[in-house]
Amino acid sequence: MKNITLGIFDFTDCEGCQVELVALKEKLLAFSERVEIVNWRLGQKKSKFEQFDVALIEGTPLVQEEIDLLKIIREKSKLVIGLGTCATLGGIPGIMDKEERQKWYEKIYGPGYKGRGIDALPLSAYVKVDFLIHGCPVNGTELTRIFSDLINNKKLNYKDYSVCFPCKVANIPCRLLENKPCLGPITQGTCGAICLKGGSPCYGCFGVKDGANVGALLTILNNFASKEEIENYFSMFHNKSKLYDK
Amino acid sequence: MINNEFIAKIEGHGSLDIDWARKKAELKILEGERLFEGLLVGRPAKDAPWITARICGVCPIAHNLASLKAVEAAFGIIPNKTTILLRKLMVASQIIQSHTLHLFFLALPDYLGLDSGLELAKKNPAAFKAALALKGISDEISHAVAGREVHPTTTAIGGFNKIPDKKTLKYLLNKLDKNINSALTAVNVCRKINYPKYNIGLEFVSQTDRKNYPGYDSAEIISSKNDYSSIDNYKDDIAEEIRKNSTAKFAKYKKREVMVGALARLATHQNYLVPVCQKYLKEIDFKNPFYNNFAQAVEILHFYQKAREIIGILLQEELDPRIISPSNHPPLKGIGAVEAPRGGLYHEIHLDDKGKIIFVNIITPTVQNLTSMEKSSQAVLDQSPKISSAEAQKLIEMLIRAYDPCITCAVH
Repeated sequence: MKNITLGIFDFTDCEGCQVELVALKEKLLAFSERVEIVNWRLGQKKSKFEQFDVALIEGTPLVQEEIDLLKIIREKSKLVIGLGTCATLGGIPGIMDKEERQKWYEKIYGPGYKGRGIDALPLSAYVKVDFLIHGCPVNGTELTRIFSDLINNKKLNYKDYSVCFPCKVANIPCRLLENKPCLGPITQGTCGAICLKGGSPCYGCFGVKDGANVGALLTILNNFASKEEIENYFSMFHNKSKLYDK
Repeated sequence: MINNEFIAKIEGHGSLDIDWARKKAELKILEGERLFEGLLVGRPAKDAPWITARICGVCPIAHNLASLKAVEAAFGIIPNKTTILLRKLMVASQIIQSHTLHLFFLALPDYLGLDSGLELAKKNPAAFKAALALKGISDEISHAVAGREVHPTTTAIGGFNKIPDKKTLKYLLNKLDKNINSALTAVNVCRKINYPKYNIGLEFVSQTDRKNYPGYDSAEIISSKNDYSSIDNYKDDIAEEIRKNSTAKFAKYKKREVMVGALARLATHQNYLVPVCQKYLKEIDFKNPFYNNFAQAVEILHFYQKAREIIGILLQEELDPRIISPSNHPPLKGIGAVEAPRGGLYHEIHLDDKGKIIFVNIITPTVQNLTSMEKSSQAVLDQSPKISSAEAQKLIEMLIRAYDPCITCAVH
């Protein structure tokens, strides 16, 4: 029985989280049989815009129309869920500071161009968001867990381990012990430490774990990394999340 | 702004304005500007491939590789043979991933009268099964080589942080061998489609090395008018125009509207297709952009075979995991050109002597196609004097989907 109406929306972003959604394949099909997808621009032509039990929103509300639409979606939805780091933290587009935008409009588009973007901020800068599915991109296993909780009417919850847990399980040498920066210790670990498994550092796209000790990590980083290097890490996905004071 | 004003089932946000009195079609691109060419400046070179992958979730590998090639050129790095082969495998899996997603999920419902790709499961289970198999195997290759199906984690300037072992490669080859029918099904589904009939003078443009079907190795740009131009001239040849009310630029190649992507690569490189694909060429109408969908299916089969071939070579060789370091006196300026699923992609990156990014320019395939899309839309309107406005609207939306535009790439 389809007892949940779902709207999937995308603001400004790369749409990679929706690609992860489609990559669920059979699981997405099974999920779509249990919920009624009433609005999904990327996936279907049919679009109703009345009430949503759940609104899944990908991307950052960068232009005024997106900010307005976000507020309307909020009014029409019981549960608003951010999908992916652009929606939950501001993410990669958030690297651009608001004050810098005009300069870059002129450099990239030429003088006289009137930019549409205002500032790349997370959804929570404008409305109350009920749950955040972090990740750049989101993780399929985590999506499945959350969808399963949704159709079973369970309260959505975060897992309380950091990236270090799956990293240790995978037996990957600790970057911090090798004096290489890493945001793994303060970051939620539902990514499965996928970047570290590929030999990349953790820049914290899965959001800060509840109770994380950011100060302690900064103390460790300051022992071997320059201020600029530390800022490089914290500005990758967290430039707009005010996690770290420059 | 109501959500359904945007064209459904295309990657990103665009709308179509048709002025019925004047019978003029105009594309409006309204995606917000993320300003990638600005936000990279001041950051270290290592960030370029990491960040530009995030321009597009449908073709992240193409952006990742274009940036890697640009930065490596700037550093004077020539990667080793294992690296090149693995990157070519990434290009193959990227094209299968992207074409499968577009064909089955976004375009095919148009031709089969369905609302969404998910409805294929009931209406055409064989096609749906093939789509899942193709998506599955291409995601697995990307995962094994690039570290993840979306946004690579293993790639590095000068090589790979981590390369797949031979056991994994054997597993992938075995899986490819077993699922070849899925690629053949994709072609068979697309060759049976009744494409709307239009006659449009299209000029095709693709990157080329004059030796292979386009993909990773690019030295020149070739046009179906048979002119060649060096990649080094890309910025002069592909001139971008700024339009009012559009966050995407509109490009022309040597002042002409050209089409890039699957149909263009097929048109300019017929002799380089794998043998099993050759027989479909005569069924493709190169004067009709709707056939881009058929061309995408043929490319799925081509790159499927290429993936098997590359893995076969890798299995015979000793894999070299070494990362190449920058040369002593690097030029600090580089251009990275790759054929992305939707056509020629160009990244130009300049560094300072500390390896910090000081300049970035990116030209995406969709920016080149937007001009052609408008021209073809106009031709469709002109060649269909009797259809109703609702039919015309539907037909032109279908045409735009057939081009497979990626608006998030176009704006970036």
